Amino acid sequence: MTLYLSTNGPLHRLHPLTKLTWLLAVLAAALLGPSGWLPLGLFLVAWLLAAWGGVGRVWLGRNGRILLPLILMLFVIHGFFNPNGQTPLLTLWRLTLTQEGVAYAFLLSSRLATIVGAALLLLLTTHPGDLLTALTERGLPPALAYIISSTLYILPQMQSKATAILQAQQARGLETEGSLWRRARALLPLLAPLVLGALVDSEERAIALESRGFRVRGPKSSLVELPDSPGQRWLRAGLLLGILLLIGWRVWRLFA
Amino acid sequence: MNFKDRLQQDFSTMTLVLIPVAIVLNIVVGQIASTLSLPIFLDSIGTVLIALLAGPWVGALTGLLTNLIWGLISDPITAAFAPVAMVIGLVAGLLARAGLFRQWWQAILSGAIIAIALSFVAVPIRVYMFGGVTGSGADFVTAYLLAVGRDLFSSVIITVISSNLLDKVVTAVLAWAIVKALSKRFVARFPRATAVVGN
Repeated sequence: MTLYLSTNGPLHRLHPLTKLTWLLAVLAAALLGPSGWLPLGLFLVAWLLAAWGGVGRVWLGRNGRILLPLILMLFVIHGFFNPNGQTPLLTLWRLTLTQEGVAYAFLLSSRLATIVGAALLLLLTTHPGDLLTALTERGLPPALAYIISSTLYILPQMQSKATAILQAQQARGLETEGSLWRRARALLPLLAPLVLGALVDSEERAIALESRGFRVRGPKSSLVELPDSPGQRWLRAGLLLGILLLIGWRVWRLFA
Repeated sequence: MNFKDRLQQDFSTMTLVLIPVAIVLNIVVGQIASTLSLPIFLDSIGTVLIALLAGPWVGALTGLLTNLIWGLISDPITAAFAPVAMVIGLVAGLLARAGLFRQWWQAILSGAIIAIALSFVAVPIRVYMFGGVTGSGADFVTAYLLAVGRDLFSSVIITVISSNLLDKVVTAVLAWAIVKALSKRFVARFPRATAVVGN
């Protein structure tokens, strides 16, 4: 249900925080670093890493589905309508493609591609549970970890419940097609049982958690151990240093 | 009661189990709205609902987590709009506290206020990060406004408010109606809800 692919490549075996720090470093480089070809270079690095990690094809497909509509519209809107466009490149009918507009569309597209590419690298190769365990070990409140993993657990249940309610109401003669007014009227008979049922179910979970010491303070032990290595610790420290240097460079440029 | 005690009361175990339900409702009801091909998203109904029951801070957290989790399961772009979802929960909770969610007509007004408030966050993110583009049909409206000579910022403001106004009004009214339909015993677990249902 999540983006995670349960294959076993070299990227899967890395510590989740190593991949998360990489994502943060790419985010900093794309947003704060020098523009030009650097973002696109980082996108290609992510592609190589994805291929090395054995998720290259899925990575490329996901990227395409998320990015292509955005990039297409960026080039149409900024290429033809950017208010700062001065230098005409070519004219189609009454629309003029400008150099400034294309350059701006290229800048934003390469930034977005870099960030989405790096995020997909993390999401495709890291089980959400492992990421949460790693973050909890570093001080994320366990309550937050509970909320996130509980959401991932309830979601498929609630989706099948919604389908069941839809079919049951259709069997009773509820019309879910036709004019807008008819479709809008179908909303309430679908929502009411779903929402009210879900709220009432949650009360039982609260009692179950309370009776198992969920709110007890103090250290808690974890069932899962995540493998880490000195090399990865050094890599993370280096990436964090790089991020700080980038921020420092930006701030310095602001005043210099 | 000081702020820390207030937060501790807000984030009771009952609230903690309700947050995942609210997040899932955002996603599933959003899917129902698109199954019925309605012209609205309804993907913040859980956020507004929990904000009415448990206050602005819980609402803000629910909005934030909805978009982060959505980013985790299907599209990382959604995570960039997490601050927008946060504002929806925060503002809905504040409006409820101010007594603006007692009657159905107040819910309509509150929905409109939410739509305007969220644009303060949504417009800068859309303009600076995405160049005003969403990759959806709304982009043609933006393109038209640019073509008739508006600048990017004001074009995006118009697109954002016009596509959110009806959605947030319907969302607010539905959330208000759900809170009203809940049993007294259930609502009694949420001290903040008295601002909506009375004592």
